[in-house]
Parts: sequence; C-alpha cells; structure tokens
Amino acid sequence: MSSKPYQNYRFWLLSLALIAMLVSFSRPTQNQVRPIYNYTFIIDITRSMNAADYQLDGQVLSRLDYVKHSLRGLLAKLPCQSKIGLGLFTERRSTLLFEPIEVCQGFNDIDTALANVDWRMAWAADSRIASGLLNTLDILQNIDTHVIFITDGQEAPPVNPRYRSDFTAVKGKAKGMVIGAGGLQAVPIPKFNNKGEPDGFYRPDDVPHRSTFGESDLNPEKIVGYNARNAPFGSEAAVGGEHLSALQENYLQALSAEAGLHYQRLTNVDDLATALQISDFAEQKTTPVDVRWQAAMLALGLYVLVYVWPMALCLKSWITAGRRGIKAISKMHQTHV
Amino acid sequence: MTLAVDTPWWLAALLLAVLPLFNNGIQPSTYPWLVMLPIDPLSQFISLLLRVCAMVTIAALVLGLAGLHQSEQSRERIAYGANIVLLLDRSNSMDNTFAGKTPDGANESKATAARRLLSSFVGQRPHDLLGIAEYSTAPLFVLPLTENKAAIHAAINATATPALAYTHVSKGLSMALDMFKEQPLSGSRIVLLVSDGAAAIDPDSELQLRLAFKRQNIRLYWLFLRTANSPGIFDKPQDPRDDNAGAMPERYLHLFFASLNIPYQAYQAESPDAMQQAIDDINRLEHTPLHYRERIPKRDLSGDCYLWATGLLAVLLAVKFFEVKR
Repeated sequence: MSSKPYQNYRFWLLSLALIAMLVSFSRPTQNQVRPIYNYTFIIDITRSMNAADYQLDGQVLSRLDYVKHSLRGLLAKLPCQSKIGLGLFTERRSTLLFEPIEVCQGFNDIDTALANVDWRMAWAADSRIASGLLNTLDILQNIDTHVIFITDGQEAPPVNPRYRSDFTAVKGKAKGMVIGAGGLQAVPIPKFNNKGEPDGFYRPDDVPHRSTFGESDLNPEKIVGYNARNAPFGSEAAVGGEHLSALQENYLQALSAEAGLHYQRLTNVDDLATALQISDFAEQKTTPVDVRWQAAMLALGLYVLVYVWPMALCLKSWITAGRRGIKAISKMHQTHV
Repeated sequence: MTLAVDTPWWLAALLLAVLPLFNNGIQPSTYPWLVMLPIDPLSQFISLLLRVCAMVTIAALVLGLAGLHQSEQSRERIAYGANIVLLLDRSNSMDNTFAGKTPDGANESKATAARRLLSSFVGQRPHDLLGIAEYSTAPLFVLPLTENKAAIHAAINATATPALAYTHVSKGLSMALDMFKEQPLSGSRIVLLVSDGAAAIDPDSELQLRLAFKRQNIRLYWLFLRTANSPGIFDKPQDPRDDNAGAMPERYLHLFFASLNIPYQAYQAESPDAMQQAIDDINRLEHTPLHYRERIPKRDLSGDCYLWATGLLAVLLAVKFFEVKR
C-alpha cells in the first residue's frame, strides 16, 4: 500500500530545495555598483629622486625606488577593470610610455614596466617641475584618465619667480593629484659617473643656487653689483642648499592648487591607496553579479532540515520524557514523605 | 589540474555532509518487532546508496557555494609566430613628415605612419610575444615581451605624445637585447628597429652589442624611414673623406649590422607605402613555428556542482514516491 508522499514534511522540503535549484539555472544576477579607477602615473626620474630618505624593512631606499615599490603595491589593490598608464617626467616635460592598460589582465606587464623605471631613462637633465606638470596636463588632455604626478618638488635649477608657469589654461580641465615623495629633512643627492656607478654626492659648487635666466624679480637697487646687461642678478656668488634635497611640500601644494589638482604626501602603500581611491576619481561601474549562491544556500538549508528535523524531534521527546521522569520521581518522593 | 575555492571558510559547512549518516531521511514506519525482519542485503544496499546520494548532494551544494574552480593553467601549443621586440625611435625628427616638414593635413608624420602601420602589424600577429623599447638620448623600457595585445596597442598609441630629444641607438639596442634575457629559447627572436636616423656607436658598446647579438641569437630588421635629401643607408659618399661614422652614421650603422653575422635585413622606406611593404615583408618572413604556452583561464566549476546537486535532489525526491507507509 503506497501512502501519499506529500503528507510528509520531507517531501515538501525536498521539493522546495529542488525548485530553488531549478531557479538557479536561470542564472539570476543582481546589478552591483563598484568603483573602478583610471590613473596615469607620471614619475619624476630626475636626479633628486635618487636621494635616499625612505626606509623599507630596515633598508634605506631612494625616493624613486620607494615610489616604484608603492605603485607596485597599489597595483595589486586596485579592482579589476581599473586602468593604469605610465609616463616619465624629466627636464621640463614628460613622455607617456603606455596609455592606461587594464590592471588584472596586464598586471605582469605593468608590474615589469614599473620595476624597470630608472633614472637612467632620463633623456635630458634639469628638473622644471612646474613646466613639467603643465606639459603633462597638456599632453594628457585628450586621454580620459586621472593624472597622478609624482615628484619631490625640487626645481633644478631654481625657478625665477618672475617666470612662473601659468596654469590658467588647464585649471579645472584635468582631475588628478600631485604626490609628494621624499622627507622634509634635506638630504644629499647621489652622483653617478659616466658609467652609471655611484660617485659620491653633489657638492655645493656642483649646482646653481639661483636662477640666472632673464631678469631678476628684485628691485635692481637692492642687488649688490647690479648691471642691467652684464650682471642682472648682481656680482655676488650665490650660496644656498640646492645641492641638498627635501620634499618641497609647500611648493607642491601651491602648484596643485594652481592647477586644480589634489595633493598627497607619499608615506606608505595603504595611505596612497586610500588617498587615490576617492570618489572624485572613481567611476561607478554597474556589473551584473552572479547570485546563484542565494538559491543554493536556500536549497542547502531546506535539505539539511530534512535531517535536522527528526533529530530535533528526537531531542524534544527526550527532554519531555526526562521532565516527565523527574516529575514522576518528585511526585513519588512527595507521596513517600 | 588544480582545484581551488573562492571562499575557503564555506568548506567548514562540509561537516553537514555527515548528517545523513545519523538518519537516512526516510519516514520511519513502526514495526512491532525489528528482530523479526530478515536481513536483506538489497535493502541495506539501497539504504546505503540513499545516504551516499544525500551526502554527495550536501557536499556538491557546499562546494558550489564555496566557488569551486579550476585554477588558471597553461598548455603548450605550437603556432606560427615569433618573439618580437619593437625598438622605436622617439627622437624629435620622427614628428616630421618624410619630406622633413611639419605634418599637415595631406602628409602624416613619420611617427604617425609608424604608429598606424605597427598597430596593424600587431593586429595581424596573434601568436607573437611582443615587447616594446624606445630610445632617444636614453633608452626607455616600455613593456616586456607579452601576449597582451591591448597593452601593446596602448604603448604604440602612447607614442602620439611629442617625441623627445636625440638619437642614441646603441643604448636602445642593448635594452632591446636585454629583454630577451629571461625568455626561454623558442621561436625566432626578432628586433625590429624603426628609426629615421642613426648615430655612431662608440667602441665600448660596439663590442658588447656584438656579443649580445650573437649570444641571444637575434634576427634583426631595420626599418629606416628615410627623410628626403638625407643620406640613405645604402649610399656611398661622393667624397671619400666623408666616408666615416661621424658623417654618415646611417651607412655605418648598416655596415655594423651587416658585419654581425646574424640574419639581418634593412628596409629603406621613403614613404608610408614603402613602409607598409617592408612590414608586409617581415610579416611574411617571420612565420616559423613557435612553441608557446597558451593560458587557459580559470574555469568555474560551481555550475557543475549545482547541476549535480539538482540531479541528486530530483532522484531523492523521486525516491519519496516509492516510499511505502504501513
């Protein structure tokens, strides 16, 4: 004699679990909004970036090496579909090595390219940060990306305040950030010989300490030994600390304000990642996310109940039996007393 | 084959799979005296089978939830292709036309022509590993040998930014040769030098380059973009006093390459069309078998897990209809 299976809770649990699983084959998806990012890093590879004022695991690291280390760390933290481009800055302009590449597919390529960034790639000397930044914003105008300009802010030779770069043409057009690399304490800049071997440090008489371009911005009467044609900057030898280098934070902050960019100091990978993943730079991308797990979880719960239910019933009957037993014993006890 | 899961902590739920061992999930029937029932091997087998089915169902659901997948693998394939390093000249003169003028609407600059033609060249070679190095006064490492064509296109497009300074070809060549260092020897190794000028190679780097070219087993193609009225690579000077590397760097670079005893081919292109022909020629020549590893992306197995679980649930549900209640 066969009974009706639907009189049994097991049948219902199993049926519901099966229905849940069948629904999962329709590949249910949910739209999830995730931020993705698009940056082009322009790395300063001038000599002052060789100054060693970062530390990593007890090792002294040059600014450039620390920048490379941080960017490679950041690469692993960016969500897939984010893109990274890379360029270099030296002299008074920058060059783009590659336009932004998707980070997950191109992880190895970007990582190797970052690892190979070297100050020896500099095609010219000088370090005109402001002109470089202006040029960078200009050449990247047509590329849809956020410019991240990484530098220590050391202008070499020093700029003449009379001839400062004018950012009004690009201000507000580009979104981006200036990242200041280096410590606030001035440190010596390593020098290399023709073959690229370390050769001590720059000394005071190796570098110009003031701009000698054009006219001075000072009142000629205040300049000692002024001669409009022969000595527009006076006759005195310039002294200064330009052979040492520190992060010129105030200067960079002023520059970023002029150019309408954010500013952040490079301290460690995590802070860099937080600073860069701001809503200003995020592009909200809606991606359908697989939610089959919801159906599967429901099915699992229902199916497990098939086995857990009788156990629970069993446990309940034990407990009631136990209680009854205790009651009976206490009753017996009472009657005896 | 390597299996992996996305969320390992889900695996703890595999413990649930022992539940059917305690309870066979079937409505028990009351029976006066169990000892009276004879031992039936078939019934025992079916009971065991049902428990195994139940355990597999739970395990399949849990593995599916944990995101079981086959991790990324690679398999060796043979195809026609090569390892190619593109060595691109980024000197100022590349931004001029073949006539040596500033580009206008009708004539594109040498750099633009190079960019356009190289992009289509890359598009035609699906199995190549490509790398890019550039040089002007200093060499620029751009991308290592990679199969990521999107990255290569991004790097070729990036040469649209204004060119840099001078032509220092020997450093660029050493960088291009270095890029083969970590590559296993399979397929031909090609350096494709695209430049519009040359520079004398100093004796120190000359020796190093000779050694490196030999050691790395390189095939060299030089696509020389000749500007009108400039000395070509095959020209002999009229005045023998001009026959030196300083006065005719292009001719001497060509002689240097020819003296390396490596497969070497020079193309002198005086127009974008000639350049197209040279690139087609290289495309045709470089079709030797190449062993390469094809990447098989990670394969999601949770769908299979769910399929198994669904099938087994259906079986178990069907079994419910055969239950006998007395």
